[in-house]
Amino acid sequence: MDCKDYKEAIAADPSGSIAGGAEHIAGCESCRAFRDEMQALDASILGALNIDVPALNIPELPAISQDDNVVSMPVRQRPRFTTPAWIGIAASFALAAIIGLQLVGNRTSTDEQMLAAQVLAHLDHEPWALKVTDVAVSDERYNRVINPSVGTMDRDVGLVSYAQSCIINGHRIPHLVIQGQYGPVTLLLMPDETVHGAVPISGESVKGVILPHGDGSIAIIGEREERIEELGKRVTDAVEWTI
Amino acid sequence: MTDDSADQERRNRFDRVVAVLHKDLYRYATWLSRDPGVAEEVVQEALLRAWKSLDALREDNAAKSWLLTIVRRENARYFERKRLETVDIDSLTPGQAALLAETEDPNLDAMREAIFRLDDDYREPLVLQVLMGHSTEEIAELMGLKQGAVLTRLHRARIKLRDEVHKEAAA
Repeated sequence: MDCKDYKEAIAADPSGSIAGGAEHIAGCESCRAFRDEMQALDASILGALNIDVPALNIPELPAISQDDNVVSMPVRQRPRFTTPAWIGIAASFALAAIIGLQLVGNRTSTDEQMLAAQVLAHLDHEPWALKVTDVAVSDERYNRVINPSVGTMDRDVGLVSYAQSCIINGHRIPHLVIQGQYGPVTLLLMPDETVHGAVPISGESVKGVILPHGDGSIAIIGEREERIEELGKRVTDAVEWTI
Repeated sequence: MTDDSADQERRNRFDRVVAVLHKDLYRYATWLSRDPGVAEEVVQEALLRAWKSLDALREDNAAKSWLLTIVRRENARYFERKRLETVDIDSLTPGQAALLAETEDPNLDAMREAIFRLDDDYREPLVLQVLMGHSTEEIAELMGLKQGAVLTRLHRARIKLRDEVHKEAAA
């Protein structure tokens, strides 16, 4: 490690440990002084950021209606599950799906209801995905997530601001977020999940649909104001399975 | 569990989470917007949204990231709605002026003003790291950036602040 690397690293995180950093500063007085300067600067930054906070003023909170069309996301009190626990968790999702989605109607099968509940429950796994932004994910990341052995998606469908491989129903699938008219819209491309018709999804602040697409399906979930039908057409036109 | 007791339990959970994190949310919103008045509005909207979707928060120990994400979104919505221009330091709103009001410590004042002047791209990761205690990985996730980009912004932010403060001291 040279002085330039060390200084860049320590200025990025003065309280962090840097691989090889201790050995470097043991023999470099200039970098030692720089580290001390950055640590002192951080103390000063922290003092400046710590502004006074007014008394907590919670807004008037509306009653949460038990709307028949709303699927309540299951509240999980246990630690984050790992793959071996999947089956047990799936059972709780199934219960939530049956309780929640049967209220929507009997148009969908139990399997489809379970899938819808899992899709909805997945949204809170990565809350940072749902942000308003004009920054698109890199081509590198996009191409890593949209595996060409599974399918392709035309990027003209919208600004893709998030791309992550996730697991739904035991299958690794692309989880994407595009910027819709009213906020971020989640897309889950599920080549292994068959639905026999559009499966509506309704959460407390979101709505969406799982659309059949070839032998698989695509979930599209956005803000309540979002025109999901229009988006659905665009997305299904843009996605092509290769399997 | 009856509806009433379920509602009460929900409200208790919300109050518990908000009581612990309120200061963080307000400070984060203030340094995002650079205006304590705007921050109060943003936090109010964020709390309302959080209340409506509280069931989406599965574990209370994930509440901080969850709420910061909501505040971040509400801040973006606020500025989108108001279409606010970049702040000119010479024409501050009363809220901004209050944020930069002189204290008994000129070094603190100089640092606050230097942070205020930082570009959003530099200020936000710095606030998340120094004030919120987020790792660079967490910041990258929250801001939708690569970790390398976060490190670069943090490095540049500190160098800019150091230079600003030195300049101020020399003046």
